[in-house]
Amino acid sequence: MTSGGALSADDRRVWLIIAAMALVSLLLIPLSQALFGLRFTYTVRVVALGGSFLGLLSGALGCFAVLRRESLLGDALSHAALPGVAIAFLLAGRELSLLLIGAGIASWLSLRFIAALLATTRIKQDAALGIVLASWFAAGIALLAYIQSIPDASQAGLDHFIFGQAAAIIESDVRLVMGVGSIILCLLALLWKEFKLVTFDAEFAGANGLRIGLINTLLSTLIVVTIVLGLQLAGVILMVGMLIAPGVAARQWTHELNQMVILAAVFGAFSGGFGAVISALDSDIPTGPTIIVVAFALVLMSLTLAPGRGLLWSRLRQRSNRRAFAARNTLRHLYRYALAHGAANSPVPDSFIRGVGDRGAELGLRELGGAGHVRLGESGWQLSESGVELARRDLHNQQLWETYRLYAHELDLPDLAEDREREIASLLPADALAKLEAKLAEGAHP
Amino acid sequence: MMPLERFLIESLLNFLTREELNAFLRSPQNTATLIGALIAVSGALLGAFLLLRGLSMTSDAISHTALLGIVVAFLLMTGVFGLEGDTSSPWLILGASLAGVGTVLLTEMLYRSGLLRQDAALGLAFPLLFAIAVILVSRFVDDVHLDEDAVLVGEIGLAWANTNSHCFDRCQSVTVSEDHPAARMTRQCRNCRALGINPRDSRAEFVEVCGNCGDYSPAQAWSAGLLEREPALVFFPKSITVTLVMALLTLAFTLIFYKELKLATFDAALAKALGFRPALMHYALMILVSLVAVGAFDAVGSILVIAFFIIPPAAAYLLTDRLALMLLLSPLIGALGAVFGYDLARGQLFGLLPVASVIALINRVFGLELIEDWDSSISASMVLTIFALFLVAWVFSPRYGLIATALRRANSRRRFADQVVLAHIHNHQHTPQAATELRVDTLHAHFRWTPRRMTRVLTRLRALGLIRIESGGAVLTERGEGQAHRFRRTMLEARNMPSSAE
Repeated sequence: MTSGGALSADDRRVWLIIAAMALVSLLLIPLSQALFGLRFTYTVRVVALGGSFLGLLSGALGCFAVLRRESLLGDALSHAALPGVAIAFLLAGRELSLLLIGAGIASWLSLRFIAALLATTRIKQDAALGIVLASWFAAGIALLAYIQSIPDASQAGLDHFIFGQAAAIIESDVRLVMGVGSIILCLLALLWKEFKLVTFDAEFAGANGLRIGLINTLLSTLIVVTIVLGLQLAGVILMVGMLIAPGVAARQWTHELNQMVILAAVFGAFSGGFGAVISALDSDIPTGPTIIVVAFALVLMSLTLAPGRGLLWSRLRQRSNRRAFAARNTLRHLYRYALAHGAANSPVPDSFIRGVGDRGAELGLRELGGAGHVRLGESGWQLSESGVELARRDLHNQQLWETYRLYAHELDLPDLAEDREREIASLLPADALAKLEAKLAEGAHP
Repeated sequence: MMPLERFLIESLLNFLTREELNAFLRSPQNTATLIGALIAVSGALLGAFLLLRGLSMTSDAISHTALLGIVVAFLLMTGVFGLEGDTSSPWLILGASLAGVGTVLLTEMLYRSGLLRQDAALGLAFPLLFAIAVILVSRFVDDVHLDEDAVLVGEIGLAWANTNSHCFDRCQSVTVSEDHPAARMTRQCRNCRALGINPRDSRAEFVEVCGNCGDYSPAQAWSAGLLEREPALVFFPKSITVTLVMALLTLAFTLIFYKELKLATFDAALAKALGFRPALMHYALMILVSLVAVGAFDAVGSILVIAFFIIPPAAAYLLTDRLALMLLLSPLIGALGAVFGYDLARGQLFGLLPVASVIALINRVFGLELIEDWDSSISASMVLTIFALFLVAWVFSPRYGLIATALRRANSRRRFADQVVLAHIHNHQHTPQAATELRVDTLHAHFRWTPRRMTRVLTRLRALGLIRIESGGAVLTERGEGQAHRFRRTMLEARNMPSSAE
């Protein structure tokens, strides 16, 4: 566990990134004012604050959607909110909190509908999502068209829920979002263990007496509320990106759920705030889409750079593996040929080594030559002293592994996972190694 | 497109007079229904395969990102090539289809990196592309026709008005030049803008400009009053042609590659082993999906396109297990939805019930004052009708419907109850405990059932002639004996199956 004094290097890196991103997000307004030399108006500050907080919220909750393979659920739920908005408007008029409650109810009903469809038919999840998305949204569009045919003009702004209208966000909206959002975050913290269990191993959770159905519903409801809060900012189409992009980015950096959720939250907060700041540079840049683009840039960065997992790292690792492999093979070929033709440092014809090694030989010779283990003499490739030493050690290591494979049981040696590219001497305790060496010296080697 | 339309009209004129045809096409209802049905056919055919392949949400993604293709093509046309910004240009359709295929490729690229799952890849790719499109639109495009709203909802109700004219008789094109009697000459200031002055200024120079010069097609010439005799014209809505081509294309694709599609859908590995190139089928399918999504863009709007893709096949999937039947049923369901959807938009629920009376009822119940006149979006209403048909299929499907499933379940519960009661009687009759175990009024306690349930089961068994009641105890009849024996034997056989197989 990470709690306690000793943090592993990986953990330290993740917390460092979290701290750095959080700091940047907090200081976003002053930093960007200094960078772009602009003075931001009160409106921009409000939008940036709202964007950051919504990003934080959707990033944290979105992790669960990503991990439960329900990324597209967010898409369906956000579209499904529309008829709720329209009905709430028809019944109660234009009052944001009521519109949001209507949206939440419609979205929640669609969630139950999807669950019922999946439980009673053989229709798969993606089709069920599509059915709900299209029909709920169509109901919303039909109702909006009906509302527009009403002569009373107060319906203006309802379609903000379709595309999002960040510029229309005012301070009371942000206050509402922050109030509800804090409740969501508290619930998330309180039910952390339960959510973690149903996300990763629902059967185990059920066997331990957790009410899986209830907890799943609760988690989905929290996601619904988050989506509904975000609709004003991002709109129904982009909300899914806002929900899952931070989670996907955070997933690349860590294997721990708590780190992932916190990292996703800061990534989300950064995208929300930074997107709002960029769109404030020019009145023609819409806020919601800019936030999505920023979030996706974070995803791309994470996919490329994340240590151990990222594309850049795996490319580099592949390359160094290929080189090490070529060098080792070439060294073995050289050594074996040289021993068969006299001494360990007798020259090996170029045509031979290229013949047996093919393309790898070129690479291997370059690697070995660079390290000074081999050089090209008059009559061919010749191992240097260090090269001979290296080859001898490698051969000895291989023989030890072979002896270990045959006699580990007889000599009562500790269990090792066989990996012949590693030094067996570094894996075994001293006494066990001594036994193994003795067995090899007996001439037991096949 | 024009020769095709001409051919169509000529063949239609064999059955109809020109006036009838024009009257038919000029009715918004006919045109909208026809277009809706054609989109339903192409969408449902492709959607069936998407559904079976678990790719339904891909059509959602494609229909969103079509906007990016359209915007980029539009910007390239107007900005780079200096063409007229026409929203129905084939270049836009090409661009949108490319964007659709690009979405699929981007999703697969993200997914193949192995770093994220398929649903997340899709959920990332299309909001990104859509976001870029929205940014481009709001920054660079001022055209009214190219905003996100139009993309979402479409204008199927106005499709009848956007026509190509075809002339069949007395065709006369007119070229109005400056010396033509109908030419209208006006004076225009030549250097006002350059000098930034008012036309009344003394420095202003004037030229005579012809206001209406140019080439007039027969239809334009007639409506401009340049012709004395009315040419024989047919006005054909453009959307019908586009959607008809889509429908024919998908129909041909499905018919020609039926075997390949079926194999690639149900067993991609076998298809590959037999040399059928399932990957090729996959991309062909995706290209067609993009084309149809874009073709329908004008009419129903991009989000509602996916309803035509997903819901009819899902309904058909609940009705049948056969692919061929599914491919037949889903276009039918979609087309029915289009027909009744138009009525719904105009205030009629399946021709049975006016929506106005529903609203009146709501007003009465909730004490509201909503307007009873329901006039709503046609495409959304079509989707709602299709959804209603889906609900009907879900509830009433003979094999997978809710009612059928409930009946089947109740039936097997009943049969099971009969069997265990028979087995109980069979086990205990002719034993010393028979008197206590088989007393009718306490029998329910041995099963921990309610007395009512036991009474019901016993009544049924007596009616079937399997048991009779003798002095307060249940006794098997001869038939009941045979039934219990058979049941016992099948149970034993089922239990001994593995050992007897040795």
